[in-house]
Amino acid sequence: MPDLQRRRWANAAAVYCFLLLLSILFMGPFLFAFLSSLKDNPTEWPPSLTVNQLRPANWAASYRLAKQGGGSGLWGGLAPGGSIDFEITYWTEEGREPAPPEVVIPKRVQGGAAAALSVEHWAADYVEVVGPYEISREPDQGGVLTTYSFTLVNKGDVPLKEVPMDLTVPMRQEFVSATLSPNRIERLGRTQSWNNVSSGLLPYVFSNYARVFRENYSVSTGKRLFLLWIRNSFFLAVTRVVTTLVFASMAGYALARLRFRGRNAVFGLLLFSMMIPQQVTFISNYLVLRDGVFGLSRLVGVPTLLNTYSGLIISGLVGASSVFIMKQFFERLPASLEESARIDGASTYTIFFRIFLPLAKPPLGALTILTFQGVWNEFFWPLVVITSPADKYPLTIGLLNLQRTYGAATFDWGPILAGTFISALPIIVLFIAFQQYFVEGISFSGNKE
Amino acid sequence: MRRVSAGRLGEKLAPYVLLAPFLFTLIVFFGYAFVRVVYFSFTNYDLFSKPEWVGLRNYLNIFRDPEFTRAMKNSLTFMVVVTAAQTMIALLLALFLNRKMRGIKFFRAAYYMPSVASSVVVTLIFIWFFQRRGVLNYVITRFQEYQVILALFVLLAAALQFVLVAWEKLRRRPVAIFEPSFLLLSLLVSFMIVFGLVRFGFILPREVAPVDIIWFNTTKTWPDFFGALAFPIPLGAIMLFNIWTTAPTFMLLYLAGLQDIPGELYEAAAVDGAEGWHMFWKITVPQLKPITFLVVTMGLIGTLQMFDQVAILGSQAPRSSTITLAYYIYTNLFPSSASPRVGMASAAAMFLALLTLVIVYAQRKVLGGENDA
Repeated sequence: MPDLQRRRWANAAAVYCFLLLLSILFMGPFLFAFLSSLKDNPTEWPPSLTVNQLRPANWAASYRLAKQGGGSGLWGGLAPGGSIDFEITYWTEEGREPAPPEVVIPKRVQGGAAAALSVEHWAADYVEVVGPYEISREPDQGGVLTTYSFTLVNKGDVPLKEVPMDLTVPMRQEFVSATLSPNRIERLGRTQSWNNVSSGLLPYVFSNYARVFRENYSVSTGKRLFLLWIRNSFFLAVTRVVTTLVFASMAGYALARLRFRGRNAVFGLLLFSMMIPQQVTFISNYLVLRDGVFGLSRLVGVPTLLNTYSGLIISGLVGASSVFIMKQFFERLPASLEESARIDGASTYTIFFRIFLPLAKPPLGALTILTFQGVWNEFFWPLVVITSPADKYPLTIGLLNLQRTYGAATFDWGPILAGTFISALPIIVLFIAFQQYFVEGISFSGNKE
Repeated sequence: MRRVSAGRLGEKLAPYVLLAPFLFTLIVFFGYAFVRVVYFSFTNYDLFSKPEWVGLRNYLNIFRDPEFTRAMKNSLTFMVVVTAAQTMIALLLALFLNRKMRGIKFFRAAYYMPSVASSVVVTLIFIWFFQRRGVLNYVITRFQEYQVILALFVLLAAALQFVLVAWEKLRRRPVAIFEPSFLLLSLLVSFMIVFGLVRFGFILPREVAPVDIIWFNTTKTWPDFFGALAFPIPLGAIMLFNIWTTAPTFMLLYLAGLQDIPGELYEAAAVDGAEGWHMFWKITVPQLKPITFLVVTMGLIGTLQMFDQVAILGSQAPRSSTITLAYYIYTNLFPSSASPRVGMASAAAMFLALLTLVIVYAQRKVLGGENDA
């Protein structure tokens, strides 16, 4: 029946279409938030899918402008003696004489007062404007399009990182296009405003991302906070993965393959602990860390484990669910594995390290991913343990801090969204690379019965 | 001789040596912690001076605290709605994704994406999404503008689908009600007709003022007719994105379960003349029972612990509208402007622990069946 055969193909195609439609529901909010994290104003109304930062014309322009200014095309800058040629086109109705724009290099920097403190040289003090000159005029839809050109020259002897610019024209002279799209249009369309005309390609496209790194300084050490937070999270995640892998496989093996007094009690307590919310036991755990685990930490000269990574690591050496996963795995291996080794007189340790551990690669792989993801995303316990200084925050708590910084008066969503994507990036990369392990991890932890 | 006995002792101690690190965390950070919280719940304690025994007073006090009852209500509403919704959505997604097709793995990964990000990331993105002039309100505005047109589109598509399916049935050919290719055809044709009608001005979208739903900074509840059972709108918003992030995780569990169902069961049923829905209720659902049990248990435990979203929202939503039991415990231990009330926090924590155990036990009785160990 060729007819039914054809229908089967049509059905398959239709299912693909529906699968794609449905994936918009799951990926859509993420993708749209990512697009918006590139925008100058992520809360524009109506929300739009066009992003200046993603237009190839702007990529080329930002690269060219920075290159022409003597800086690096990718990273930007206006070198001493360097100059930037800029063109802008306006539309005026028939009978009105177009006026050249007033070009101002304002003393302005992205990120407000805090960022202004770190500026050493203001472009406003060094940059001279040559022009603007009218270079062309042509009729267009009941009006005229006039193009002006001007040049910005760095007359000082220092390289400038940021060259902001404002152009103002009289009322009813409409902005049409420019060498580089303006970041904002203000005063009912009269003023076109750029954050940095010599930004270079990468800082132009990822300006909100650059702001996250640039504008968050530690009060006490002056270091860049966001880099520290990323490093902290990596350190914590890697350490906890190592302790979890080692200790969970040891405990899982003992619970699964060895007979000893108290085995059932330990396993019972393990199951019980998996049901009790973290918010129950954290009251005592907070105190235990505060007192340095019954004063033991004083032996090494540390009065309290609050606000230390040792505290987070010791309290999270190995989780019950990780032990559970390893126990489930070791239980399923055949008994013959250890029997022959026992006859040969091998010790328990030898059997564990030489025979069982090498077999445990699949669950250990899944556990690595699960633990890394878990620690990277952990919020509640670090919030309790690490309260100050901001240098010590892991990324999740840092993001909360970021939200407070940029959300104090009105929400400046650009850097907040950018920060969330930077923090999600390692997990997304990990997920794409080790997808299979994520799935296995879920089903490993799922085999409870 | 001595070497042998030393070896024997080593062998005897081996399990404990291997278990030692885990036992340390389990006993200090769980066992001891649990016992100590039980003790604290009967005392008056502010973290600094000595605990003072007060008997059951903390338990009486938390029930007199309107904030606690509010938190309990919020937590229970959250638990019921989110667990039910995520379980059903997870099952439906798994059924939809359980096919052998090229590239199906890509779609599984795409659907799972919301689950890999941290609660902070997801919550921040959604706070942005739910802004007063945010994406969600924009989508709702557009939806209201096109309400009539959308209704027309759906009706037209349904009618077309009905005609197509009926036509096939008349010709005595096998066809499902939602035959994908027919559905796609109906949707496309209907879209083209409606698009044409709008394009040439036969029907126009309504003029609607931008929707101004305040999702977070509000004490309103919804739905109105539910009276005291209605949930606060900020909590509803949290529910929405929580379901969106957790459903895919459970979808993976269901997918694994579906792949374990032996195909012969369906073949045998087909021989007996069973149809799609019948097979679903008689084979799929019972076979998935252990998975459902697991998904519901994990869902209940997880939703009762909900804390992150509330803490991240912080002062952006009124306390009473979002407070949960976990957050209540936290804020009693670290109140912003008072001395810590460890006793109250511990009593609330014990209540949360008991509630979790009771609910998990009850659902085991209801759903557990032959899995009751």
